[in-house]
Amino acid sequence: MQLERIDAYRWRVPRHGGMRTDGLIFADDGLIRDLEGDQAVQQVANVAHLPGIVGPAIAMPDIHWGYGFPIGGVAAFDEQEGVVSPGGVGYDINCGVRLLATPLDIGDVRPRLKQLVDALYRTIPSGVGASRSDVRLGRRDLERVLGDGARWVVAQGYGSDADLEAIEANGSLPGADPECVSDRAKERGGDQLGTVGSGNHFVEVGYVAERYDATVADRLGLAPGTVTVFIHSGSRGLGYQVCDDYLDTMLAAAGKYGIALPDKQLCCAPIGSPEGKRYWGAMNAAANYAFANRQLMAHYARQALRTVFDDEAAARTRLVYDVCHNIAKHETHDVAGRPRRLCIHRKGATRAFPPGHAELAPQFRDLGQPVLIPGDMGRYSYVLVGTEGAYRETFGSSCHGAGRRMSRHKAKQLARSRNVPKELEEQGIVVRAATRATVDEEIPEAYKDVARVVDVVHAAGIGRKVAQIKPVGVVKG
Amino acid sequence: MTSYRFVPHTADIAVELRAQNERGLYQAGVDALRELLVGTATVAPAQERPIEPRGGDPTERLIHFLSDVLYLYDTGRFLPAGVSASGVYGEPFDPTRHEAQREVKAVTHHGAEVESDERGYRATIVFDV
Repeated sequence: MQLERIDAYRWRVPRHGGMRTDGLIFADDGLIRDLEGDQAVQQVANVAHLPGIVGPAIAMPDIHWGYGFPIGGVAAFDEQEGVVSPGGVGYDINCGVRLLATPLDIGDVRPRLKQLVDALYRTIPSGVGASRSDVRLGRRDLERVLGDGARWVVAQGYGSDADLEAIEANGSLPGADPECVSDRAKERGGDQLGTVGSGNHFVEVGYVAERYDATVADRLGLAPGTVTVFIHSGSRGLGYQVCDDYLDTMLAAAGKYGIALPDKQLCCAPIGSPEGKRYWGAMNAAANYAFANRQLMAHYARQALRTVFDDEAAARTRLVYDVCHNIAKHETHDVAGRPRRLCIHRKGATRAFPPGHAELAPQFRDLGQPVLIPGDMGRYSYVLVGTEGAYRETFGSSCHGAGRRMSRHKAKQLARSRNVPKELEEQGIVVRAATRATVDEEIPEAYKDVARVVDVVHAAGIGRKVAQIKPVGVVKG
Repeated sequence: MTSYRFVPHTADIAVELRAQNERGLYQAGVDALRELLVGTATVAPAQERPIEPRGGDPTERLIHFLSDVLYLYDTGRFLPAGVSASGVYGEPFDPTRHEAQREVKAVTHHGAEVESDERGYRATIVFDV
């Protein structure tokens, strides 16, 4: 696949064959080399084949080989002529990250770190098919979760209005239609609310190690040494099933509407078609489930803080922000000097709206939207804010994480003769995991260095660094 | 003879299935999925669960079959041992004998294509994990 360098941080995949537009990849030399030998760049080109695409098919510096769309992909489609694609959102609909800032300093937490990580591990079920016996949702409550998202959880007493103000879309997407979610999906989601799941999902205790913009960091409650809790999870089995169900619908729809697909996983339907509308209702319902899931997990994280510290530690733990990184949204963007309604697909990419954007809650209006970028479990994570550059160039989008660079098989082979939890403990990081397999597959070396990913984002102007957070405790599925 | 072989994939897990016929591919897929779920632990064909065939071509039928096997595990902790005439044999997950390895989110359509020639049937399936 031909790649043309545009500048130090941008690469073009020139339009060819059935592509309707160019591809645009944000990466430095090293990150682009990581893509050699896999299909990620081809996947950027494949996305450019889809009807109604506006601007280039974009990939963030954490791009890696996915299925259908690459992970780290952003694509905008015209609302009238464009398509919506479950493969452009992913199986884990509204997989996302939330960051909590506690009132505690790392010096206070170190002596009781193991207790805290154990408490989080006990309180928030993780691992394969993790479920909660205490929050088994009845049919009616599940419908409300799908309709109202985090708002339903707060209404049950698990959190506050202040939490809702710090969630993308206030934790509740209006386009949700629970009727469009299959019984099978509802069955898979019934007892998984408030659970972290497996794979790359986690709950992580960290602290503010470095600050690049002290003013913004202070406004976000990220003083030096502040202990934080990162939560990374999504819509669990319910979301996976929604995606699966609608891939079938969209495969049929692509044939019906004469859409040529370079990869079946890109199957899609016109946004305004009956198939597109039903997927939209189901996707937003699953996204609301994910918002509710992270809200409930945050409640249990506060409960763990209460158990190990005190009521005040729990009560003064604030939600910094909560972002989706697998979602499609209707948004207005300037295209060639005029506002245009678009459907933005972000698959492994984060919305990064600039200061002044009307959709931001008042407390973020002059800062720009917080963008949360978790790294691997051994190094660091970052907090950024959205920029004008992102709004102009990437439809208000930024990266979402480190991005894998090594297959799980290879990572496991590498970890086989090692004791990864012990290695991490020697670095001051306590790990609790449901299975050894997950920890081995998630070794830090399996990921790109997130600092390099974030540096490209910062240098290219599609996000601005605010603070770095270092992990001290990790709960894995 | 049926066989499966995991092939490199950066983020997810790809497996190449080989068999003498379409039904054999299902067995190879079940064997691969079982390894992903619980490793090499023995799963007894003690019970049967029906699976309704779905899909208009061999590729879609294979993906749906494996998706349904995954659904049985995700909702009822039913581990697959082998393919039966009308579904799948297996047994419930037993924590004294089985150790869960990872969550498999889905059986994707990415690059999936059942091919056949004089040597038999072949398909590559990517599991989202």
